[in-house]
Amino acid sequence: MSETFLDSTELVLNMGPQHPSTHGVLRVIVKLDGEKVTGTECVIGYLHRGVEKIAENRTYAMFAPYVDRMDYVAAISNGLGYCLAIEKLISVEAPERAQVVRVILTELNRIASHLVWLGTHALDIGALTPLFYCMREREDILNIFEKYCGARLTTHAFRIGGLQYETYDGFEKECLEFCDKFMPRVDEYEELLTENRIWKERLIDVGILNAEDCKAYGVTGPMLRSAGVEWDIRKALPYSGYEKYDFEIPTRTNGDCYDRYIVRVQEMRQSARIVRQGVEMLAAGPIIGKVPKVLKPPMGEAYVSIEAPKGELGYYVVSDASTQPYRVRVRPPSFVNLQSLDKMARGSLVADLVAVIGTIDIVLGEVDR
Amino acid sequence: MPDEANPGGAPEPQKPEETSAPKGAGEPSAPQAAPPPAGGPESPSAAAPPVEKPAQESAAPTVPAEPKPAAPAAAKPAAPAAAAKPAAPPAPKAPPVMQTTPWEGELVEDLKEEFGDKIKDYSTYVGQSFLVADVAAVIPIIDYLKIEQGFDYLVDITAVDYPEKPERFELVWILYSFDRNERIRIKARVKDGQKAATCFGVHLTADWLEREVYDMFGIEFEGHPNMTRILMPDGWSGFPLRKDKSIVDMDNRWVRENIGIESGQ
Amino acid sequence: MKRFLRTILLVDLFEGLWLTLRTQHPRNITTEQYPAVIPKVGERYRGLPRLNTNPETGETLCISCDLCALACPETLIVVGWVRNPETKRKDLVNFTYDTSRCMFCGLCEDACPVDALELTQDYQMASFTREGQIFDREVLEEGTKPTKFKW
Repeated sequence: MSETFLDSTELVLNMGPQHPSTHGVLRVIVKLDGEKVTGTECVIGYLHRGVEKIAENRTYAMFAPYVDRMDYVAAISNGLGYCLAIEKLISVEAPERAQVVRVILTELNRIASHLVWLGTHALDIGALTPLFYCMREREDILNIFEKYCGARLTTHAFRIGGLQYETYDGFEKECLEFCDKFMPRVDEYEELLTENRIWKERLIDVGILNAEDCKAYGVTGPMLRSAGVEWDIRKALPYSGYEKYDFEIPTRTNGDCYDRYIVRVQEMRQSARIVRQGVEMLAAGPIIGKVPKVLKPPMGEAYVSIEAPKGELGYYVVSDASTQPYRVRVRPPSFVNLQSLDKMARGSLVADLVAVIGTIDIVLGEVDR
Repeated sequence: MPDEANPGGAPEPQKPEETSAPKGAGEPSAPQAAPPPAGGPESPSAAAPPVEKPAQESAAPTVPAEPKPAAPAAAKPAAPAAAAKPAAPPAPKAPPVMQTTPWEGELVEDLKEEFGDKIKDYSTYVGQSFLVADVAAVIPIIDYLKIEQGFDYLVDITAVDYPEKPERFELVWILYSFDRNERIRIKARVKDGQKAATCFGVHLTADWLEREVYDMFGIEFEGHPNMTRILMPDGWSGFPLRKDKSIVDMDNRWVRENIGIESGQ
Repeated sequence: MKRFLRTILLVDLFEGLWLTLRTQHPRNITTEQYPAVIPKVGERYRGLPRLNTNPETGETLCISCDLCALACPETLIVVGWVRNPETKRKDLVNFTYDTSRCMFCGLCEDACPVDALELTQDYQMASFTREGQIFDREVLEEGTKPTKFKW
């Protein structure tokens, strides 16, 4: 008797595109049985600006500011990937000093990106306090960016072949100060969250994606590392001199939301370590390599990827020996990682879906490009 | 692709005033028209005539005041047209070719043994290896590489459009092996309208990546469970990343019907 | 009993209030009173474009080379010039800069060979119309005049 009573029909719920926990304009069509998610379908493209098409109509140097607009919370990583791809095509390597400055800024940006993630994700789960703390630290990083290149978010900090700007007076000091200040602050976040009972109950064993699934779905970045695969492009295929830095790849084994949180927090510590080493390595020297004014890479193509805060960010650039790229393909980590949402959310509750979307760490500007 | 010169891609950049003048009237005129003179206050429009005149009188060697970027953009899609050909001779240099070196190694031997002449070419460019295969053989190759050689991570699927070639699209699969720490590319060519096989059965990642290729280029993947648009809206017509689509082209009908404005600008 | 007293005397409340009051010291206030106090931005901030003039003669430094217009990804700079028949040099007639489409990437600034075009630290450039965002030579040389409101 009870079965017929409790039998429910499938409910289709539309989440987004203006839902605050989708971190942008992601629309998820959720199929529900009671409160259980039986299927999700992502509708994306609301922020599609045709970045790849724009690239075909701009010269190589001109396109650099546009890549900042993809993953706007980690604009410096985007710029680095693009510059490295073009440098590969023209076989130019940035000078030593430029590489070190690039690493410092990229790692600072990684911290900033993870801080935004941590703050907003905690907000989604219901912990309001970390957001303000995270924004406070991020502010320091953004101030460094502003002093360095004049912009805080869409920085356009790097140029093909090196850097446009020399570091400002006190750059090293400010970076070190930030690192000193930051380490205890991370402890503070962890104090608030890591052993917090609500936090743990909301995250542990939610949205599990094991290593095989990660590989099958092409998931990279902290999500892959939380599933126990120790793979980081900075170690596996070093670029920009990352092989000279001493850092660890934090990994966990469960691959649930909690592990992703731990991995990201640990990554922030590692990034601060790299920044510190980078400042020590900073030696005088030129900041830009020999790059012709009118850039015409020889006919060819290259795929270069970097470890962006969200995963593998790749640029596949095809040159036809003209001043404009023939094709630029961006391999966005958010886009590929978001695919695994259905796998992770199936069978969980609606409230967990919010946690799962949060821990993928998507930026819709990058998903849609 | 490695040996075929790109017939029209080379000539354009140096002489913008010759090539751009006739072609600038073509599709990409919109970015030029967009700057101030259209609706600006009195000042830009007042200044416009003096700009044009002296540039012609003095026949300045520099470029006229019109923005340059539109010019190469114009030259490229129209490259195979007759106008581009006569402009080419000034460049006595050899036509640009991708300077590849042959790719050798154990993996190549294994692949040769397994697939024989289905794989046409093994090359390396700037330290990155790729192979060129028949489009029909790509899925077995990816499957073989995944199971036998450990290339268990499909990084990306994308396409490049070469409208002047008979087999118009070049599909690119990028594979990575965690164990070998090696990245390779597989390339295959398809004609316009020809279907490629899906590798959804081998790598689940292919789902969205193939949908994106379909959305942007119109290459359909046979056997894909949900071959619909992903980034563009469902009713959209046209494939934006094809070279014959200008950057300002859009589906005006869709915009009018769904957003209720005359153009997307 | 102790707990009762604490409740009656509102000890917890005052403790909490004390914490709040402690942070009320002007030193701890980080809010910026924007229109009254204009915050300073970084030295390299890329804001309102400016066309520099020679401070002594008031003549423009721009040599109408058009490099900024060529470097601009959005092609929003239009340089108008006339060739002077006597000096054979290009005289700048007009210079428009469409900030409504500008993304302040700084490429024009980098391209300028004589440091005539510069992105300054000024960021007050909003206007009520789209046309108002298209700055002509006059605005670029003298800067915007943001409306001052009184309250």
